[in-house]
Parts: sequence; structure tokens; C-alpha cells
Amino acid sequence: MIAKSSQHLWTYRAIFLCFCLTIISFKLLPLTLDQLRFPSPDILLAVTLSWLLRQPSVVPMVSIVAVFLLSDFLFQRPPGLWTLLVLLVSEGLRHERAKMTEFPFLVEWGLFAVAVFALLLMNRIALFVLMIDTDKLGIVLAHGIVTVGIYPAVVALSKYGLGLRKLRPVDSGSA
Amino acid sequence: MARERSDQSLARPVRRLMVGVIILCLILLVLIWRIDNTRVERIRAAIVDTFVPNMQWAMAPVNSLGRMVDDFQSYARLYEQNDQLRRELQQMRAWREAAIQLEQENARLLDLNRVQLDPELTFITGIVLADSGSTFRRSVLLNVGERDGILDGWATMDGLGVVGRISGVGPRTSRVLLLTDSNSRVPVTVQPSGQQAILMGDNTFAPVLEFLETPEDISAGDRIVTSGDGGLFPSGLLIGQVAITPDRRMRARLSADVSRLNFLRVMRSHEGNQLSDPGSLIGPPWPPEPAPTAPQNVLETGELEQ
Repeated sequence: MIAKSSQHLWTYRAIFLCFCLTIISFKLLPLTLDQLRFPSPDILLAVTLSWLLRQPSVVPMVSIVAVFLLSDFLFQRPPGLWTLLVLLVSEGLRHERAKMTEFPFLVEWGLFAVAVFALLLMNRIALFVLMIDTDKLGIVLAHGIVTVGIYPAVVALSKYGLGLRKLRPVDSGSA
Repeated sequence: MARERSDQSLARPVRRLMVGVIILCLILLVLIWRIDNTRVERIRAAIVDTFVPNMQWAMAPVNSLGRMVDDFQSYARLYEQNDQLRRELQQMRAWREAAIQLEQENARLLDLNRVQLDPELTFITGIVLADSGSTFRRSVLLNVGERDGILDGWATMDGLGVVGRISGVGPRTSRVLLLTDSNSRVPVTVQPSGQQAILMGDNTFAPVLEFLETPEDISAGDRIVTSGDGGLFPSGLLIGQVAITPDRRMRARLSADVSRLNFLRVMRSHEGNQLSDPGSLIGPPWPPEPAPTAPQNVLETGELEQ
């Protein structure tokens, strides 16, 4: 029983990494040069945080650092900064999640929204402190809103497509 | 269960330590990037270089799928397309006549003038590998790099107009910062009136024209070409046409089709500008150094005494 569940865990960890690599590759494909009218959601962030909220052990710290550091380097962002912020927020969410017993979807979504906007805010402050050009506030906010908006779709995909169920309070004690 | 608990109690401080170490490393990385930008950017170029060419297998099916969808859509409106093509063909015939006449005239004139084209304006053609931009950054990756002699700062064009300039070269790939990126600043000339301006990208499709002396002299449709100031771009490359927005700002409608880049020409325009000194103050020249007379006198007197 234990062997089986740990096997599942490793399968999901592998799926997470593959999924993230696929998303990064698709973002790199030269298909989306004219995406200006509608800011694209940060699917990578949505997937990571949703899986983290649902099954924290599936998304270990090492995967987060690896995936986001790679995306930092490939997407021409300041290397390490976004990774650092995501890591901080994910640790915070992990901590918050461990304390909760009841966990309805709306609370989960709200947590995600708070996390996303905290990330964007901290990123902006960090860029300001490091004296790097910041982007227009409007685009950043729209980006955040779209990312929050896509969350239910990501959750539905991972629940019905990949069978990643939410951790129940009974399980969370042992996990 | 109890075993697990005890494991966890031991694992928790270790984990906390690991988080701390990773966070420290990341902060260091950001700071190093901020301080020693070029070295970290070189690392970034190396990472992009190893990761992106491996993606061609992924791109092939996606590209062919897109082409199939396009083909299918074109089947759906075959009839009207045919009609449209006929009309266009008629127009093209007229244009071809005009073009042939112009070509003959041009050849005659060139012959009269004995014009030599600038031998520096040769180019290397590359294929767009990936779009490493996002909502905030406008850049593409080319499949030519240091191996092919690409240097930082060279102008890049598609068939018609300037697209951007090389910014970041890896061994096998190079990054093109598009004119539409918010970091792009290019000195330009607006053609009939000959005014100098700066073309500033702002992440929209039409970069803004700024620092015009007399904006009244400029009307929509004027040609914008590079001015060659600053020595970064060769002068006279076509960029686009002036468009005036409803809020009376001047923008450039680019001739290059920035949303559908496929083949790009990198113009071998200069030897690569190196910043060797931090630049000096602009002002009146310094007075010449006073000649070292006093020590010489001492020496002479010393010699006399001897």
C-alpha cells in the first residue's frame, strides 16, 4: 500500500515536470507574436500553485526551483528573482495549507488570488529596488487577473484529466 | 505512523535549512546578475543555446498543424478566393509592366551614375527559432550565432524593413530585440522633411516617434528610415511609415511584418562597437599639461655642480 502510494507520488512528480517543460516549450514557439490585445495567463504559476494547494508533496521545492529557474533564463527575466518569489510564496502556501482542515474550493481560489497578487507586488517592488525597468501597471494587473481567472480550468484539467484529487483532512496528517 | 512523525521532526529543520540556503543562493544570483550583467547574460545565452535547438522536433508538428488549419480554412472559401486572385492578377499585370519599365530606367540611370552599392551591406540570413518574448518583452531567437560571425548590435531586417537588432549572441543562436520592445531606441530620419527623431518601442505594434523638432511638418504616410546616428545601424534602411493616432501622437507603422517573422537578414553593418572607456565630459578642452621644467632645472644645476 505504501509502496503503491509512493510510486504514485513519483509518477505525479514526473508528470509535473513534463507538464511544465511542455508549457515552457509552447511559450517559446513562435506562434504568439501577436498576443498583445489580451495578456496571456501565467499557466506555469497556476499549475504549480494549484498542485501545491491540492497535493503539496507532488510539488517539491526542488521541482519548483528547477522549473522556474529554467523559465527565468529562457524568458529573459532577471534570473532568480521570480524563482525566489515563487519559492517564498509556495513555502507560505504550504505552511498555510498544513494548518487548514476545511478546504473548500472558493477558499483555495482566494488563496491563489492573494498569492498571485502578492507575487506581482513583490516582483514590482524588487524590480524597483534593483532599479530595473518595470512594465506598465495596467498590463501587469491584467496579467494577474487573467492568471487568477484561468485557475478553475487548471484545477478541472488536473482533477478530471490527470486524476489529481484534493488532499482530505484525514490524509493531510500523514502526508 | 510514529516512525514517520519522528522522521519528520528530524527532517523539518533540515528542510528549513535547505530552503534558507536556496533562497540565499537565488538572492546572490539576482545580485550577481545586477552587478555583473554581461557574464550572467553569457550564461543565459549558453542555456538558451542548449535548450532551444532541441525544440525543433516539437515545432515541426505544430507548424504543419497550423499550415493544415490554414489550408482547410482556405478550402472553405475557395470560390471567393479564386475571384479575388483573378482581380489581383489583373492588377499585377499592370504593375508588372510598370515594374519592367522602371527596372529598365533604373538600370540606365545606375549605368549613367556608375553607382557602387555599399559592400558593407552584405547579410546573413537566419531562421526564427523561437519567440522568447512575453507580454512584456519583444524578442525572437535566430538560428545563427557566434559561429556564423554574428556580432552584438547588428541590424536585422525581414524582406522589407528593419525588425530590430541583435542583442545577445550565443555560439549557435542569437537574440533579436525587436523595434517594438520597450527597451528599443533607434535614431531615425523622417524622409521628405529630413527631420531626426528617436523611435521608441513601447511593447505595442507601432513604436512611438519622439523628439521631433517640428511635428507640424510631418504628415501621415511619410517614410521613416534609419539615420545612422550613433553608428549602430547603417543609414537609410527602411523602417516604416508615419501614422498619427487619434491622440495626435506620431507612431511608426513598421514595414516589416513583426507578427509573422520567419526568415531574418542580419546586416553585417559594423565591426561591433566596443565600449572601451567610460566616456569623457563634453566641454572645453583641458589646458595642456605644464611642462615639467622645475625638476629639469634641479638636474641641470646638479650636473653643473658635479
